[in-house]
Amino acid sequence: MSRKELLSKIGLRQDGRRAEELRRIRCKLGVFTQPDGSAYLEQGLTKVLAAVYGPHQVRGGRSKAQHDAAIINCQFSMAVFSTGERKKRPRGDRKSTEISIHLHQALLAAVKVELYPWSQIDVYVEVLHADGGVFPACVNAATLALIDAGIPLKEYVCACTASLANNNVAMVDISNQEETLGGPVLTVVALPMSAKIVHMEMSQRFHLDHLPKVLNLALQGCKDIKAILDDVVRQHVKDIGSSTGWSQTNRKQ
Amino acid sequence: MLQEIHIRLAETRDNTPLAINQRVPKIFTPGEIISEQQEFMRGHGTYEEDIYLKASVAGIKEQVNKLISIRPLKSRYNGEIGDVVVGRITEVQQKRWKVDTNSRLDSLLLLSSVNLPGGELRRRSAEDEHMMRQYLQEGDLISAEVQNVFSDGSLSLHTRSFKYGKLSQGVMLKVFPSLIKRSKTHFHDLPIGASVILGNNGFVWISPTMVNQEDNVGGFTQNLEEVVPRGTRETIGRLRNCILALAQSNVMLFDTSILYAYEESLKYNVAELLLPEAMVDVAILTQHKLNLSEYS
Amino acid sequence: MLTTKIFIRKNRAGNFLKNIREHYLRDDIHCGISNCHDCPPNSNISPATHENKCSLYNFNHYLVLDTNVILHQMDLLEEDAMCNVIILNTVLEEVKHRNLPIYKRLNNIMENTDRNFYLFPNNFHIECYIAQDKLEVINDYNDRCIRRACTWYMQHVPDAKFVLLTDDVANRQLAAEENIYCCSVENYVAHLENCGSLQDKLAHHDGHSISKSDDIFPPHLTTLEIHKGIKENKLYQGVYHASRDNFLEGYVVVEESDGTPMQIIVQGRVGQNRAVQGDVVAVELFNVKEWTAPSDLVFEDEGLVESGVDEVLRKEAELNVGKGKKEAEDRKPTGRVVGVIRRKWRQYCGILQQDGDASGLYQLFVPAEKRVPKIRIQTRQGVFLRTQKIVVTIDLWPRHSRYPEGHFVRALGAIGDQATENEVVLLEHEVPHNQFSEQVLKCLPKLPWIITDADVEARVDLRDIDICSVDPPGCTDIDDALHCRPLTKDTFEVGVHIADVSHFIRPGTALDVEAANRATTVYLVNKRIDMVPELLSSNLCSLRGGEERFAFSCIWEIDKNAKILNVRCHKSIIRSRKAMTYEEAQITIDDKTKNDSIAISLRNLNMLAKILKRKRLENGALVLASPEVKIHMDSETMEPLDVEVKKLFETNSMVEEFMLLANISVAEIILEAFPDCAMLRRHPEPPVSNFDPLIKVGKNLGFDIKVDTGKHLAESLDEAVNANNPYINTMLRILATRCMMQAVYFPSGIYEKSNFFHYGLAVPLYTHFTSPIRRYADIIVHRLLAVTVGSDATYPDLLDKQKSKLLCNNLNYRNRMAQYAGRASVAFNTHLFFRNKVQDEEGYILCIRKNAVQILIPRYGLECTLYLAEKGQSSAYFQYDVEEQTQKCGDITLHAFDPVTVRLSLDSSNVQHEKFVLKLVHPYIEGFSLPPLNVPSKRKGDSKNKNKSHEKRKKQLH
Repeated sequence: MSRKELLSKIGLRQDGRRAEELRRIRCKLGVFTQPDGSAYLEQGLTKVLAAVYGPHQVRGGRSKAQHDAAIINCQFSMAVFSTGERKKRPRGDRKSTEISIHLHQALLAAVKVELYPWSQIDVYVEVLHADGGVFPACVNAATLALIDAGIPLKEYVCACTASLANNNVAMVDISNQEETLGGPVLTVVALPMSAKIVHMEMSQRFHLDHLPKVLNLALQGCKDIKAILDDVVRQHVKDIGSSTGWSQTNRKQ
Repeated sequence: MLQEIHIRLAETRDNTPLAINQRVPKIFTPGEIISEQQEFMRGHGTYEEDIYLKASVAGIKEQVNKLISIRPLKSRYNGEIGDVVVGRITEVQQKRWKVDTNSRLDSLLLLSSVNLPGGELRRRSAEDEHMMRQYLQEGDLISAEVQNVFSDGSLSLHTRSFKYGKLSQGVMLKVFPSLIKRSKTHFHDLPIGASVILGNNGFVWISPTMVNQEDNVGGFTQNLEEVVPRGTRETIGRLRNCILALAQSNVMLFDTSILYAYEESLKYNVAELLLPEAMVDVAILTQHKLNLSEYS
Repeated sequence: MLTTKIFIRKNRAGNFLKNIREHYLRDDIHCGISNCHDCPPNSNISPATHENKCSLYNFNHYLVLDTNVILHQMDLLEEDAMCNVIILNTVLEEVKHRNLPIYKRLNNIMENTDRNFYLFPNNFHIECYIAQDKLEVINDYNDRCIRRACTWYMQHVPDAKFVLLTDDVANRQLAAEENIYCCSVENYVAHLENCGSLQDKLAHHDGHSISKSDDIFPPHLTTLEIHKGIKENKLYQGVYHASRDNFLEGYVVVEESDGTPMQIIVQGRVGQNRAVQGDVVAVELFNVKEWTAPSDLVFEDEGLVESGVDEVLRKEAELNVGKGKKEAEDRKPTGRVVGVIRRKWRQYCGILQQDGDASGLYQLFVPAEKRVPKIRIQTRQGVFLRTQKIVVTIDLWPRHSRYPEGHFVRALGAIGDQATENEVVLLEHEVPHNQFSEQVLKCLPKLPWIITDADVEARVDLRDIDICSVDPPGCTDIDDALHCRPLTKDTFEVGVHIADVSHFIRPGTALDVEAANRATTVYLVNKRIDMVPELLSSNLCSLRGGEERFAFSCIWEIDKNAKILNVRCHKSIIRSRKAMTYEEAQITIDDKTKNDSIAISLRNLNMLAKILKRKRLENGALVLASPEVKIHMDSETMEPLDVEVKKLFETNSMVEEFMLLANISVAEIILEAFPDCAMLRRHPEPPVSNFDPLIKVGKNLGFDIKVDTGKHLAESLDEAVNANNPYINTMLRILATRCMMQAVYFPSGIYEKSNFFHYGLAVPLYTHFTSPIRRYADIIVHRLLAVTVGSDATYPDLLDKQKSKLLCNNLNYRNRMAQYAGRASVAFNTHLFFRNKVQDEEGYILCIRKNAVQILIPRYGLECTLYLAEKGQSSAYFQYDVEEQTQKCGDITLHAFDPVTVRLSLDSSNVQHEKFVLKLVHPYIEGFSLPPLNVPSKRKGDSKNKNKSHEKRKKQLH
């Protein structure tokens, strides 16, 4: 028995959450003026910035361009100060490359790339502070940035982690502390409205019997996250719209 | 040189929106169902799935008869014929230039759509093709008008007017295209000694006002020798900062708003206009003034 | 609902790291008081039925405890009188951090709903959380949290009263300032209704008596100093082991910097410095000049209840006198204990010392374990407790006290009573032996149990096959049955049918958890502690004759040369034709007139088993021996009537062969299906040095014992036969058995395949499959096998390598303890049998020592010491020859393995440690030996009235 259990007898986790509670999510759209779309997202203490450029003409090597769809270019990086120990390389290491690829895969499922032949969409995410669930936070931030950029999406693409506490109870949105204490972490990227799973990844194996409940909780987490993001997006659109006076609708008047 | 350094935490940033319009239309977000009936036609920012018409972007609904589209409040520039744009040459090709106009694909400027030195109706010769880079080369800025929209969404430009052509001394800045208010003219000679081109594509060009307009033949001349006086340069800098301040607070850009902002900014020196507080202050005052003038 | 609080911690990991964690504060936590109106209704909160009646307070109240109260007064808290207690999470966390066993016990109490212990997560409650001040010590902070929770409760539930129990005077003072009722535990208990027995259970952490005498022991170093010392390699960390014979000596096993183990001797009061058996201590190593040799003196702590340290001082002096004479090469590393890193105090069984005033408040407790010091306790029922075996725990050992101070936990029963002794054996070996709980019993199938059509569908119907079981007499948990029928002229079908226990014990149920914890059925002489409830072990799972039962069958096609052609396993339904004893089966085989199908199949089985055994031995399997006895009990008085060595028939070996075969076959199947988590059993090859005593003895007898491989060992043991003394071979095998390592269970994933080898059986793979009723490992193997044959599904823990490893650790531990407990029980009953008896017995010399010979008495399986001289002195009669390993007296020479006759009697002077006393009878040595008794010892065991009363003791199949 480990000294610290992930879920205490009274059903509270190390940080006081219950098993099915997400960490606090705070986010903001349009944090930069240069990129076409940008977002900042905090999930607990994990803090992520995302910037989207495009769609624009494919630059550098036309060979990559596709005649029937836009290409998505993702780059994931972690600030050197984002982890407890200072990182040596902010990007380009194996883990970053892997996350970039997964991010690409996740976004490809949601972005309506077929609308933009010969174009390219760049997505840059930077982790400012890593405290567990880095990849899901990146996906969620990238979604917001894409929406901010006005790029058509089928729907929100959200990601969430879930794990198994005390080898029995599923719990959602794993913090760094819980990651280190052990327990397999299931990361799910989903289209929450249609409940389609885009990407799924596990850190260790656990028995198949547990999968349904862990997966369901992760999916529920994605849905909850989507609701939070949706609120923020609506508020953002409202703010911009009322400042610009819903600009172009006026044109016709 | 002593310089004051300002570091602000994101938390303390002032984010209060400048609400001028309390009427909020319904907002749609990606994946949201717009209509369950199939009688509507799908326009931009929508897609059909199963029997539903769904939004694919976050924005507001616009309906023209049966055509429903969702317009995002911010996106890349979607060109329309007649739009004034400011752009940058990215490539010189056979008989045409490629121009970055902040749209999804680079726009085209055909050799046949420019006024070449020596008269409007001159025949294009093979020599001209060789001379293309002499006229416009990569990196050059131009102002132009949208002549046509191709099926893939890319734009065809022309500069067949005196007001268009290569830009020489001045400052370019980028804002979101949606912030440029459409109006009769996008060329403004402001009474403060500077001219502004508000490109519909979100590129804004600020330059000293030309005195001898007649010399400009929509051409490819660039006078880089002429020294712009310091006063004018400061004015240009102030204008730039004002426009940035307005853009940051999502105030629509047009001649009046820029002029108002300029007036309100006079209490700060140019450099101070880069402080967030000053920017918000200017934007608020401008908005206030615009509201007053609207009702008066 | 959520609020965030972030706190920053600095961790040292080479450099400073900033560690930020979220801490959510909640407003939805129930206060745990049933009639609270402010909290949302919660069905889990039961109303308090019990009233706390303490004459200090004239109202009913809830108790709030601080950490030290829980850590120190656990025995008190386990009493049912303590109810309506609020446990704060702050406190619980600290308890967990400081003492895991106490934490577990506390959890057990909290699970009992009658006691009404409520865990209040105050550190997550938005109104009870307080931030730690920068300079605040953690203890002060915790106390402040406790007080904050108290005041919150007082204001939250104004109708209820709360009393804070703490022994910390400063905390009491601060609490009083905040108008919190508070009180010390001792004071509280003293004013409680019916407090008499409770007071005995109080631990006194301020020391019983403030002795005016000077401190006897040097102080311990602080934790910080110890850490520093260990880091700088000035101190060593290790486990303290007390000497069995000399209470003033012990040793600490430490690791040198290169990892080699080293024993450091610690002597005397200063050297031991209050270390108790099993403690993790820090030791300081002396200069080589001051090193000493382990003393061969025997000192018993004769300390009287009221005695001081004089006796210790005197004995210490004696110890020191001996030192100077020691040869330099005998000297071993010596040091002294300078601090205790972790106490390993547990509860000890024992008796009260009988001298002194029985009614006195202070009594001295003598533990049954000789290596544990006597413990001083405070009791008001001394007169009664002196007649009892009791359990006591240590609270503390102050510097001025000669003995550790503890408190009484509970009484086990009258001294010398058999039930009491069984209890002691079980407790000392940590055998779980409580009644099965209601929850467990609920998991049992309802009677009458019937076989449904679905069951028949899922199983192979073998009811028409003539199956029988062969077991020891009186066996009620029959877990294996056999059959054999000819297929063709040259081939047979042989089936081993094992009780399908996994059908009844489903994974994850309370029954399963209990069985996994018990791990094995423990056989004491007159008592069996079942692993599973009796309904299963003796009825539904037991393959009784003539009844239809579920089985897991392993069926081979085998040719007449015992070559296995194929094997298959499946679940089945069987009906055993007859449950036979080994003897009956043997008679059936031998009786040529019997020719029914059972007799024929038994004969075939026997024939095949002999071939199998021969093949096995040719492969290098060892035949080992250990003197095992069974004790015949009188069925009425439960007193041992006779002790005799187990009789072995050919049929014993027949059944054993097929069980081995089944185990090996199953091991192969499950390993193939589960390369990572198959539960196997390995028997590691012992290091060659283990065999040294065997080789030495062999050489003296003129046998060359080769030990380089198991095969060679087996062969050389076979060759070591002396026609004059046939018992010599058995003796050698007994010795060889003692050189072996323990066989252990393990999940296949944790070792390389080369380590799976079973040395004793000389097979590459082995597991336990054949006794699921009495071994949990077999249940796991059954489950694995059931998955491979497609009749059951896996479940998470079955496939978890780490979980399996933990399970194996428990199984191995319990098995070892069960073995020890069994032996201890036999030993006790042998003693009981010999009480007030004096007999002459035949025996053999097992080995020869300087002042004694070790003698094995095969008839009773006893191994005793015949002293040739007083300890420490050389014998007046015998001369010891180190080289030849002989003792000589005139023309009589005693060699190892020589037959002797000795007189056996029991020395009962020490109530807790009775021991046998031997006197030599033959060979006769004038002045030393005794004349033989007139009455020759006669076997009593021949009378017939005792056959039903002994317990089955299956030999642990390797």
